[in-house]
Amino acid sequence: MSDRSGPSLTFNSADPRASIHQATMQDRRTAAILARRRRRMQILLCQILCFVVLIGLWQWQTATGHVSAFLYGSPSGIFAALIATIRDGSVWTDLTATALETLAGFALGNIIGTTLGLSLWYSRFISQVLQPFILALGSIPIIALAPITIIWFGTGFASKVAMSTLSVVVVSIIIAYKGAMGVDPDQINLMLSLRASRQKIFRLIVIPASMTDIFAGLKLTVGFALVGAIVGEFMSSTNGLGHEIFKAGSLYAISAVFAELVVTVILALVLSSIVTRVERWLLPWRHDLS
Amino acid sequence: MTSLKRPDTPLQALDLGKAFLTDAGEELDIIRSVSFTLERGEIVSLVGPSGCGKTTLLNLLCRLIEPSQGTVLWNGRESDGVPAGVGYMLQKDLLLPWRSAIQNVMLGLQVKGGTRAAHRARAKELLDQLGLGGFADHYPSTLSGGMRQRVALARTLAPEPEVLLFDEPFSALDFQTKILIERDTLRLVREMQRSLLLITHDVEEAVSLSDRVIVLSRRPSTIVSEHRIELPGDRSNLIALRESTGFAHYVRQIWTELDVQ
Repeated sequence: MSDRSGPSLTFNSADPRASIHQATMQDRRTAAILARRRRRMQILLCQILCFVVLIGLWQWQTATGHVSAFLYGSPSGIFAALIATIRDGSVWTDLTATALETLAGFALGNIIGTTLGLSLWYSRFISQVLQPFILALGSIPIIALAPITIIWFGTGFASKVAMSTLSVVVVSIIIAYKGAMGVDPDQINLMLSLRASRQKIFRLIVIPASMTDIFAGLKLTVGFALVGAIVGEFMSSTNGLGHEIFKAGSLYAISAVFAELVVTVILALVLSSIVTRVERWLLPWRHDLS
Repeated sequence: MTSLKRPDTPLQALDLGKAFLTDAGEELDIIRSVSFTLERGEIVSLVGPSGCGKTTLLNLLCRLIEPSQGTVLWNGRESDGVPAGVGYMLQKDLLLPWRSAIQNVMLGLQVKGGTRAAHRARAKELLDQLGLGGFADHYPSTLSGGMRQRVALARTLAPEPEVLLFDEPFSALDFQTKILIERDTLRLVREMQRSLLLITHDVEEAVSLSDRVIVLSRRPSTIVSEHRIELPGDRSNLIALRESTGFAHYVRQIWTELDVQ
């Protein structure tokens, strides 16, 4: 083909367009970052304001005696209870116990659930057979399983992990399966046209494509795992945040209940922020989406 | 209808037909008795009105679905499953968002096997040829539509498929971008001496790129006519080509045969 003798000329025509594209993208990105930062500050300011007003109102009402501090607790009482548990060190043992149960249940539930959910992609037949069973299992309130888990796993660490795992596993299966089945069929056809084996399609397409859903599931189930652990502690336990909440509640120590709740909330926030961080690290291509 | 098996012809469709069973239990004819060939190094376009089962035809050719009637021969033989050496490209770029541009180009090579370094070198070479050398490590979400489709083109060409099956790959692009990527496609296909079957509804695209244009009817699709495109001058200058008198003649002729209402 002699008429294609000037390829260098024709190629270069794409390059200036490309660099312009890059420059405008750079400008747009910095502008977007600034706007986003300003917006984030406004949101934070409003959040702090809400918190201060709420706490202030509560403190004021209980201090003046309009609202009973005995029945509803008070911010100052909660703060004192918090300091007390930190001073005697009990908060650390309870926090560690609950955190370990939660993490173990979270990990176990998601490993089992994700593996099962993704592998259901291999056989539409098996997944359709299993569907009602999975849904049935998912509809059981986990607290109803607490007595059985105590009989099977005892009153120690294992039964809390079991409760936590059960709270996670069904959701994890469903999310991973949905993720795997949500892969664009054209994408699968493309792989088939390359004569890729089913196993290669699974590894190169299905698993990575499901990662977005799987991480959404992780963010959701980290809370479920904590709930499972605390419910387990309610049933029978010698330590843990759930144990302390239950005990303080029975003694009408409302401020102590709230103090333990504050610790629980902090634990939940820390755990979910860890998941978010891991996602950013593992799925760098999603950076600008979050 | 010839049933001659020609081992030198990359692709032969012989009396190909496809009917689907509707939910009501009726047979719906999509394609009826379509026969054509794609010779080595040839660019052939299939044009037809929208909804005439062009995509079904393409999936039949590469055995992603089974025909109800007729056979497909690849180099004179019936293929058992998806044949080797097919490059499949759709309107959707189908880039994997978690892979950078270069990693996307490496996908087909990875399926075939071989060393990573060789894959990377080949992918880089193609990206350079398509003017995307500087974007190798960009994620698809940061690329424009035209750039993404260039990456998809590089991915399709990377495993050096013998036959390219393109299903309206440029139809979502704006005119200027389309002309540029068509020109690069033409150049690379000719340089690499590949055979290209281009499915499109864009008559001008078909005439400007092809050696032959096959016109399909509305559903159930059959072949209405076939045109050998003979245009004087530089076939790679797609803009000049569109202004030549011969070009307008072909386009007008095919338009009347297309039976669009």
